[in-house]
Amino acid sequence: MRAYILRRLAQSVLVIWAVTTIMFFMFRVMPADPTAILLERGLSDEARNALLEQWGLTGSLWDQYVAYLGNLLVGDFGSSFLYRKPVWEVLTPLIINTLWIAVPGLLLGAALGAAIGTAVGWARRGGKLERTGIFLATVIRGVPNFVIGIALLTVFSSTLGWFPGFGMGDPGQNVGFARYFTLDFLHHLALPLIAVIIYFMPENLLLMRSGVVENRTEDYIELVRAKGVSQGRVAWHAARNSMLPLITWLFPALAETIAGIVVIEIVFSWPGVGRELVLAVTRQDYPVAQAAFFLLAVMIVLANLAADLVYGKLDPRVVYK
Amino acid sequence: MNQPSSPDAAAIRGRSLLGAMGQSLRLLTTDSFAVVGLAVLLLFVVIAISAPWIAPYEPFKAMMTESGRLNRLAPPSSAHLLGTTSFGNDVLSQFLHGFRVALLVGLVAAVAVGLISTIFGVVSGYFGGYVDDVLMRITDVALSIPTLPFSIVAVALLGPSVENIILVITILFWRNGARIIRSAVLTERERVYVKWARAAGASHLHIIMRHILPNIVRVIFLWVTMSVAFAVLTEASLSFLGLGDPTVISWGQMLNTAFSSGNLRTAWWWVIPPSLALVLLVSSLYLIGRAYEEQTNPRLRRR
Repeated sequence: MRAYILRRLAQSVLVIWAVTTIMFFMFRVMPADPTAILLERGLSDEARNALLEQWGLTGSLWDQYVAYLGNLLVGDFGSSFLYRKPVWEVLTPLIINTLWIAVPGLLLGAALGAAIGTAVGWARRGGKLERTGIFLATVIRGVPNFVIGIALLTVFSSTLGWFPGFGMGDPGQNVGFARYFTLDFLHHLALPLIAVIIYFMPENLLLMRSGVVENRTEDYIELVRAKGVSQGRVAWHAARNSMLPLITWLFPALAETIAGIVVIEIVFSWPGVGRELVLAVTRQDYPVAQAAFFLLAVMIVLANLAADLVYGKLDPRVVYK
Repeated sequence: MNQPSSPDAAAIRGRSLLGAMGQSLRLLTTDSFAVVGLAVLLLFVVIAISAPWIAPYEPFKAMMTESGRLNRLAPPSSAHLLGTTSFGNDVLSQFLHGFRVALLVGLVAAVAVGLISTIFGVVSGYFGGYVDDVLMRITDVALSIPTLPFSIVAVALLGPSVENIILVITILFWRNGARIIRSAVLTERERVYVKWARAAGASHLHIIMRHILPNIVRVIFLWVTMSVAFAVLTEASLSFLGLGDPTVISWGQMLNTAFSSGNLRTAWWWVIPPSLALVLLVSSLYLIGRAYEEQTNPRLRRR
């Protein structure tokens, strides 16, 4: 077991290194001069070279690469070209904002999906409930997340005016940590959160339904039934055993969610990491774009690692080697 | 006469790949959801092919009113069945041309993804050993690339064009397919008839073409169908984020223009057609994919 964890850890480090390297060369090989945006404001050659030096953009590609890796090891992402601040300072509040819609959205989506999925999986095969459930889940799963966002925005914000559809809070409200505990914040949170829930529910529903269908014909279910307990309790037995794939799916899903809600953040102008990534790329603010991308990749690797380890804890049939 | 009459010979001969493909496609017609999906898909293909002939105007042509002013945001009328955009373009013409981009990106990317993941999966799963180790470590790295962020960065750096979007989608989605196909190959490889054929002196190529591939055709089809859906979704998302090919019109781009010009609420005739078409297309693909899923997982079959 310990050998397995060590091997998986080493593997994760290797993967992160590989992704970082690919990304580094992608950003450097592309012909783009980050000082170009500043030149327009009248920058002398001297000042330009000083800036390049400061940003670690001088010397051979190899030197730059070594310097970059060295800085990463000590957690230094450099400074943003645009904000003229360390990247960490720019990204930290944005990460928290993203987590605010990603984590509750994913959990609520999973819980709702699991509940409905159990009902659909337990329904009579080929019956009305099963067919409607599968059909609706598959169709909703096919709705692109920006279409979900646009629909929510038009109906509940522009037309009905129930929720604000822009940003995280009205100007002049609390700033800093206190803002997360205001009604105004929750009011702004509602629509993007609902969008994430709708986006993630169908996949959970279908996963849970497959699990329940697979389990309901197992012998142990017959045994539970023979004990004479109610239908609901029998279904619960099948549901509990179907949660395993769902739980392991949740970890990588969280990482992918954070990456995938970029579009939802854009629709609702929610100041998160994903939106900043899109903005940084279009503004050619590469240190920010690179760091945002790196953090997302690390999250996915860690999530996969956690999923593998948790799976073994939950399912005694899994043997590590 | 070398008539292969013994049962051994029949077992070694295996199945024809084309026959297995035809059989898999026919299986779809037994699933009513998949039939609905196929019908929608067929309709979309017909519209995509005939788009230049049935579209009333050029997609980027600015429409003028009789008084010579730009015909902005006109609601549906007999001249413009789906109204006009804030730039005075005919929505119906843009919408019809959008079918072409969606299906082009979807199909080309899916074929590329299908080929690469099948080759990767089969080589890795069938030969095993070092080859498998190296190929699987490569997929490990590929799998930890965050999908949408990578496509945003890559398309922005390479330049937004249909070719680059297809390239990026292919780079992204072969990895999951390779994993799925590899595990399907692993189970097939251990089957008795494969060992039998091998013992009887069949070549690796023969075993792969006539024993392994025909039996995993459904898994490959499932992955190709899902890839079309992912490709369409990725292209639409990129275009919606403003990273679409500016020279061709796509549904994501229509929605991007409507969104960024602040006309979501008023210009429903501009927003609803592309949204609905995207939902219909992707859902139909998922409905077809679901039918394969039920077929490939024997535990899901009705008992």
